[in-house]
Amino acid sequence: MTRASGPIGIAETWDLRAPERYLLGWCVLCIALGFCMLWGSSHFSGDSIAWLDLLPLGLFATSLMALHLLLVVARFRGDQLIVTAVAFLSGFGLLAQYRMGSFEAQDPIALNLVLFPTGFLVMSVVCIILMRGRYLAWGSVHLMWMWGGLSLGLLALLLTFGQRFRGGVYAAGLVTPSEALKVTIVLFLAAFITHHAKALGDWGKGLPFPPLRTLLPLVGFWLVLAALLMVQRDLGLFIVLSVALLMMLLAGTGHIGYLIYATITALILAVGVMWLLPHGERRVDAWLSPFQDPTGSSWQILQGLSGMYSGGLWGDGFGRGSPEYTPIAESDFIYSVIGEELGFVGCAIVIVFFLVLFGRGVSVATRTRGTYGQLVGIGLITVLATQTFLNIGGVTKLVPMTGIPLPFISHGGSSLITGFASLGWLLAISDGQADGPPRKQSSKKKTPAV
Amino acid sequence: MLTLPNSDLWPLIRIALHVGFFLTAFHILKSMLDLRRVTALRHLPRPKRSVRFPLILLASLFTAVLLYQATWQLTGTARPQFIAFMQLHDRRQFNPAHRIQRGRILDHRGEVLAYSQEILGQVYRLYPDGPAFTHVVGYSHPRYGAAGMESVATVQLNGGAPTGVSGWGNLGRQLVTQDKRRRGQDLMLTLDAELQRTAFRLLDGHRGAAVLLRPDDGAVRALVSTPSYDPNRITPALFRDSDAAAPLLNRATQGLYPPGSAFKILLAALAIESGFSGTIDCPAEGFSTSARYRKIRDHEYYTARRGRSVWKGHGPLDLTTALARSSNVFFAQLGVRYGHEALYRLAERMLFNGTILLHETPYGAWTMRTGEIPRLDPSDQYGLAQMSIGQGAVLVTPAHMALIAASIANQGLAARPRLVETDAPTPLRQFVHRATAQRLIPMLRKAVSSGTGRSIDSPLLEIAGKTGTAENPHGASHSWFVGFAPAARPRLAIAVLVEHGGYGSATAAPIARDLLLRAADLGLLE
Repeated sequence: MTRASGPIGIAETWDLRAPERYLLGWCVLCIALGFCMLWGSSHFSGDSIAWLDLLPLGLFATSLMALHLLLVVARFRGDQLIVTAVAFLSGFGLLAQYRMGSFEAQDPIALNLVLFPTGFLVMSVVCIILMRGRYLAWGSVHLMWMWGGLSLGLLALLLTFGQRFRGGVYAAGLVTPSEALKVTIVLFLAAFITHHAKALGDWGKGLPFPPLRTLLPLVGFWLVLAALLMVQRDLGLFIVLSVALLMMLLAGTGHIGYLIYATITALILAVGVMWLLPHGERRVDAWLSPFQDPTGSSWQILQGLSGMYSGGLWGDGFGRGSPEYTPIAESDFIYSVIGEELGFVGCAIVIVFFLVLFGRGVSVATRTRGTYGQLVGIGLITVLATQTFLNIGGVTKLVPMTGIPLPFISHGGSSLITGFASLGWLLAISDGQADGPPRKQSSKKKTPAV
Repeated sequence: MLTLPNSDLWPLIRIALHVGFFLTAFHILKSMLDLRRVTALRHLPRPKRSVRFPLILLASLFTAVLLYQATWQLTGTARPQFIAFMQLHDRRQFNPAHRIQRGRILDHRGEVLAYSQEILGQVYRLYPDGPAFTHVVGYSHPRYGAAGMESVATVQLNGGAPTGVSGWGNLGRQLVTQDKRRRGQDLMLTLDAELQRTAFRLLDGHRGAAVLLRPDDGAVRALVSTPSYDPNRITPALFRDSDAAAPLLNRATQGLYPPGSAFKILLAALAIESGFSGTIDCPAEGFSTSARYRKIRDHEYYTARRGRSVWKGHGPLDLTTALARSSNVFFAQLGVRYGHEALYRLAERMLFNGTILLHETPYGAWTMRTGEIPRLDPSDQYGLAQMSIGQGAVLVTPAHMALIAASIANQGLAARPRLVETDAPTPLRQFVHRATAQRLIPMLRKAVSSGTGRSIDSPLLEIAGKTGTAENPHGASHSWFVGFAPAARPRLAIAVLVEHGGYGSATAAPIARDLLLRAADLGLLE
């Protein structure tokens, strides 16, 4: 049965999105159980529970409801499982942040409190603005260089006016505008590759050389980006964006040569970073032999792993661990807090939800008509997946630490909002292109929705 | 302010919430799986490309992360450094690492040599017979780390090396039930606690070592080094290098000493294998390879000179008598007669200049050093003569001498010394020919029954062996006894060393006799 691709009514959408309603309801229930665990634990360890402590959960439930209604009213027919997965993950993040005490500000309307609702709002607004194929307008050649210029300009401004803190550069109030690059760069690349897809896929005959003429602006752009990010000491972001570049080139041109060149370049860069940056070498040492300097450079990761060991298979429940012994656990090491309080099973659940999110994202991207939409989808999913992998891999010591937050769960407003905005884009793409010429097949078999 | 009722049911409610949280999450996942067709994006075109490859890539990447995570989170006990880090640096009160009940260390009869006990929420490692066993058992201390078997077998003791279905089942049960007092696995040693204690008592007050092992399967029944230290009380002072007594040094397996006359066992083996027969003349004035060097003389010469009398010399000696009387003049000539290469070949066969592995895990190895026989200049005949009587450049460890004695008692075949009962007995090396060993046994018996060791000859037990009195530049001679018992069907080989103990027959040999008699009482010679 094929559904009509033309506009549908609100009542129809209400029926269409019943699964989403059902799943979001269960998400709220699950997160509510988590909050009950937390309230109980702090109550029975002597802390009092204020009425205001109910606010985060209330806001979460309300914003999920609002999100759902907004999508229905906008007659959105895109993916429902992505919405569920992100609702669950951000609920998990909300729990973890609440547990780490991120909401214990004097001001009742603390910024952290409204962060998740704002995120959902951003997601739905981005989605509604761009749905029905309106996102295509943002892929024109003129806007392409706007996205590129915006990215570099943002970084340059940040370097000029930003302040250094814990090795990184931040704008006022520890906002990290560089997070926005995770969207703007993808948009730039998607447009660039779409416009030059043919040239980029033409590697000539016999010689294994990429089309350098076409690539030149891109290479130049990437060198400037690399330089700016190096000055900012944000190697993690550079890796994330480079992986996205590679995946988008592969998806856009289907030429395996890019993978080979990227592997060679990555190896050279890895060695270079090891040798050139003392910072990098220390991190690699802390990674390879953490017990050389257990109380120094490896302290944080070993404390995180200790917490996870202490959590075991199930953990003792939210609020029952002692994640305060892991330094700055609420940001990059939030995954180890989950491992400590909900054990291995809790971690596995988080990873499965991430996999659902990425899997659905990939399938949306591959089913989209038009290279631009596909590339934006692939790029955004790659950025999120690479972030997740680098963060979780870093915390579990599988890969070196890169200082990358875990999407939707780590503390940090900029990262959170960017994540939600990316998903807004992805949802908009999943809505398809409504106003195209109706296909013959679908108009024939048009049946009323049940 | 919100007031929650104070309920005794909270632990139950907490578990219910915890389980409920997981079940709800699983329900969401299951519903997503069930609803994937209902929520399929029918308005989008069919995919041109298969999404299987990226999905498999993503899934396998994250599965790899989870599997690797499990090696820390679930089987962290297999990482001894990690467990040690947590025990020392982790302040989480409920971390199971703090309450691991390490497995016990037992002797071959099951007597407990080390165990863990929780006292007021803190787990301590206790050693009932402290110093006597330290050099084998070692210690496990949160701040100073671990040594000996405690270090080598730490993973097994922590419970991180489950064997068989029941071992894994046990680990799984501890994980599923979130057991905060994890139990490790016991480690059974081949030592005999009573014999070890006796050896420690006999050597106490001396600096020395004693090793007793079974010739046929290499089971080490006692391995003592004195002075020792108390593993229940590890202090930083112990690790300062200034103490000349060096209590941390395991003299039995690591201490290199000149063997003195005990080395003549090797020369006798060399002579037998080279087909020696007849006699060598051993004049009282001694033997030297050159007029420029001091003559090598027999101890009777010095005794006579001290008594202001004249000794006529041994005259012509055959091998058995020379070994029984421990004639330096005889063996010095013997060594020079067969030359450097013959000695090096024998040394190589007996695994000199190396180490022997007793027990190995991925986290460490329990090894013993073997003796040292350096290559001399081929023209250095006097050096060879010196080495032939166990002086000069040759050095041995007590454990190696015990192993050589054991090989002779076992038809020339050395079995790899074993400290862990569950290690299978394995042959190490044929040290000497079977026929050689058979001829050496009566010779060594004679050295005790009517030779230099006759002071320890006992009607209760036929001991065979060789005394040794090793001159050294640091003071009085080191006292040695190397042998086995009973001579007719050897069950235990022994090496005893007492630093600066004087004559071998005066100090080391009586200790060896007492130990072998005690072993007989304990049924270890059955």
